[in-house]
Amino acid sequence: MTSKLKLNGHPDRRSLQNAVDYHLEVTLAKGVDNANPADYQMALALAIREPVIRAMNATEARVREAGAKQIHYLSMEFLIGRLLANTLRNLGLYDVCAEVAADMGMSLADVLETECDPALGNGGLGRLAACFLDSLASLSYPGYGYGINYQYGLFRQTFMNGFQREQPDNWAVHGTPWHIERRDQSSMIPIYGRVEAELDIDGQYNPHWLDWNSLIGVPADIPVVGYGGRCVNFLRLYTARAPAEFDMGIFNAGDYLRAMERQVAVETVSKVLYPSDSAEAGRELRFIQEYFFVACAMRDIFRRHAGAGHRLDDFGRYNAIQLNDTHPALAVVELMRILVDEHSVGWDAAWEITRDTTAYTNHTLLPEALERWPASLFERVLPRHLEIVYEINRRFLGEVASRHPGDDARLQRMSIVQEHPCKEIRMAHLAIVGSHSVNGVAQMHSELVKKQLVPDFYELWPDRFNNKTNGVTPRRWLLNCNHRLATLISEALGSGWIADLSQLARLEPLAADGEFRRAFREVKLRNKADLARRMRAATGVLTDPATLFDVQIKRIHEYKRQLLNALHIVHLYCRLTEDGWALPAPQTFIFSGKAAPGYALAKLVIKLVNSIARVVNADPRVNRSLRVVFYPDYKVSVAEIIVPAADLSEQISTAGYEASGTGNMKLAMNGALTIGTLDGANVEIARDVGAENIYIFGLTAQQVIERRLTGNAAREAYESNPDIRRVLARLTDGTFCPEDHTLFVPVVQALLDHGDYYMHLSDFADYAAKHERASRDFCDVEKWTARSIINVARSAHFSSDRTIQEYAAEIWGLRQVV
Amino acid sequence: MLLEEISEGDCLVVGLQETRLDAVIATSFRDALVERIDQGHRNIVLDLSQVGFMDSSGLGAVVYVMKHLGHKGRLHICGLTPAVMAVLKLTRMDRVLKTFESRQAAIAA
Repeated sequence: MTSKLKLNGHPDRRSLQNAVDYHLEVTLAKGVDNANPADYQMALALAIREPVIRAMNATEARVREAGAKQIHYLSMEFLIGRLLANTLRNLGLYDVCAEVAADMGMSLADVLETECDPALGNGGLGRLAACFLDSLASLSYPGYGYGINYQYGLFRQTFMNGFQREQPDNWAVHGTPWHIERRDQSSMIPIYGRVEAELDIDGQYNPHWLDWNSLIGVPADIPVVGYGGRCVNFLRLYTARAPAEFDMGIFNAGDYLRAMERQVAVETVSKVLYPSDSAEAGRELRFIQEYFFVACAMRDIFRRHAGAGHRLDDFGRYNAIQLNDTHPALAVVELMRILVDEHSVGWDAAWEITRDTTAYTNHTLLPEALERWPASLFERVLPRHLEIVYEINRRFLGEVASRHPGDDARLQRMSIVQEHPCKEIRMAHLAIVGSHSVNGVAQMHSELVKKQLVPDFYELWPDRFNNKTNGVTPRRWLLNCNHRLATLISEALGSGWIADLSQLARLEPLAADGEFRRAFREVKLRNKADLARRMRAATGVLTDPATLFDVQIKRIHEYKRQLLNALHIVHLYCRLTEDGWALPAPQTFIFSGKAAPGYALAKLVIKLVNSIARVVNADPRVNRSLRVVFYPDYKVSVAEIIVPAADLSEQISTAGYEASGTGNMKLAMNGALTIGTLDGANVEIARDVGAENIYIFGLTAQQVIERRLTGNAAREAYESNPDIRRVLARLTDGTFCPEDHTLFVPVVQALLDHGDYYMHLSDFADYAAKHERASRDFCDVEKWTARSIINVARSAHFSSDRTIQEYAAEIWGLRQVV
Repeated sequence: MLLEEISEGDCLVVGLQETRLDAVIATSFRDALVERIDQGHRNIVLDLSQVGFMDSSGLGAVVYVMKHLGHKGRLHICGLTPAVMAVLKLTRMDRVLKTFESRQAAIAA
């Protein structure tokens, strides 16, 4: 028996079986006969891992030989999802593995279901990073991710009496075959301490960073297998450890407890992923996390640059660094520190290298989500870095002042250092100043970045700003998650679309083909039946796959307006029970998403949806035409079940607040029609699929601003619309919470008394009207299916392959290494 | 803590025979060097070729010795491993301490 498995020429069933048997018996010490699906999943992953690692080493050798420029993608989050199924698809080994599993009396799907789903991200930003890595590898670009190997990912969500409860998600507790630990490439990372101003031997100013504590960053690589298997890049995630021998020294000195305390304190750094929207996000630990992974990444990039024999002043020629939001913005400062302090590069030359290398992606327009760190915290944790920030800022403001003499207000607005009400470092300003490129993530968002968020910077450096509309990888989000549809498409077009999504355009004529429509509809129905089974298992709620599946799956936030969806369901419930109205098409409303643990109103919205579901689903007057399900514990693997089954995609954020969205793209790519506002990438989806194949409603971003200025938009909508008055009355009359009529009062107060900042009530009537039209349209199954097919056919723009090609050509100056 | 001491003319060569110069031995290391200075040694070569790890306490000890010696004498350091050199660069101490590749070069300088 041997474990040797080769990828080239595709392994046959026998060699794959031998490799799996080897790992079951030798690596896992399990008898082949008593292995369960989880054992089999592990053995299969280990069998596949061997040739994957060989391909990864070969890829690295090719890149080195080619002397190619590399992109280093720095992100606090990589929401990678389960890896085995996607890897098998990308390698073309799925079918042969299914046969091998069947030989052992197992279903491959059941086996794959046992893999943990690493929740190393909050939502869109982290998933985008994972899609980008897939596209980089599939397009044979030398691109690597750098992040943190959180022991606990985002919390596991459960419901207790409809309320969200958060449980720890120790995702790798049973081990993962995909981590390749590289202890030999560990880095020592200093934090805290003080700076002492001294002179060097030449009498020059020479600040010394003294009395720091050290963390050790231990990297583990996760192979990223590109489509076709030739290019295998890696995602490098760091774990924080105490310097082991140091602790052993204390241990030997008899102070075991002190040694353990120190170890626990240090390892906390990579312990937990911070939920976004968290009130605790200002904590020191988060700041240390950001520096920790940036510093580890920088040391690694410098090590590899030097290892390839490149000169220091060619750093920008061989390396590009992309900052995924401001979380890694300390990279600008760390790069300067390394160049100036450790390599004695002059300031101006170091600054040129830094700016040539670094680029920044903005992901949000929400002021509260723009990071600022107190200068006092900065000084305590990174005293030398704060000095460098001040020097960057001094030189930058000098440049601004020379262009706008006497304009002190402009200097205050643009300064990296905010002086009032307390001294803070504006990380977005730091990222913009230190980068040669600043991009938004959808056309509309990029315009708002320039005109609303940082207009002074746009005026100063108009060429620096650009747009890179987000995308999603069609391998995970169509080929793997919706294999029935992928097969249907491949039967019609061949499989070229998997690596070139523009070929989907050839699907469009088939929208007029009755036989294709029937097959397409059959795929959707089977996907919906799968989801219905999973929803029943997860929630106990029975749903009918023949009903319109309306889906809103995303983080719970006021601006994303799950509340608008909920209010509309209450409206339908009232019409059905009080007005004698009948829904044109029976509907199932499906929600999934997590609220930050400290975000009270978002958590109350979850309770509201669950309460509505409980009442509606139990009411025999309506429950044949209306069902509501909140699928718990939203994550990548849950999205992979819901996305292929959706008929209608809810993308209903307040216009001007969603940077791009990527769920909207996944759902359209899988044939869901969108009901949405003109926000984020919805605008481009509407442009591409055509107005007749999407339901656009609500205020535009400009109208939101204007309406907010009136000061009484919510009251006006309330007074003028009896439907709204009835819906809000039901929220507080005990209809949905008979045990506590006051439970949802804060929701009503947010809408009526606190000004309804996110315009739920102003958009309600148009939203309800478009919903009614969609419900009527759904009754014409042939026409609906044709529009669904057109959505798929016109989704090419939303492939992350397109996005990555734009980044590579326009920001990174990267070429493929094949 | 183990120190190797060799006199080469008026030069005292001190070789630290430990793999780590950290908080565990920093104080005793510092005191030992200060004692040699107070005994009248003014020309000291510190050989750190056995040291694979130095933390801020270890660095602090070296800096203390350098300052204690002040302008009365000279401290040359040799045998810096990459990890220790990285610490000196990180803190910009490489621009203050006089470092040499070999023991012979440090003595001869």
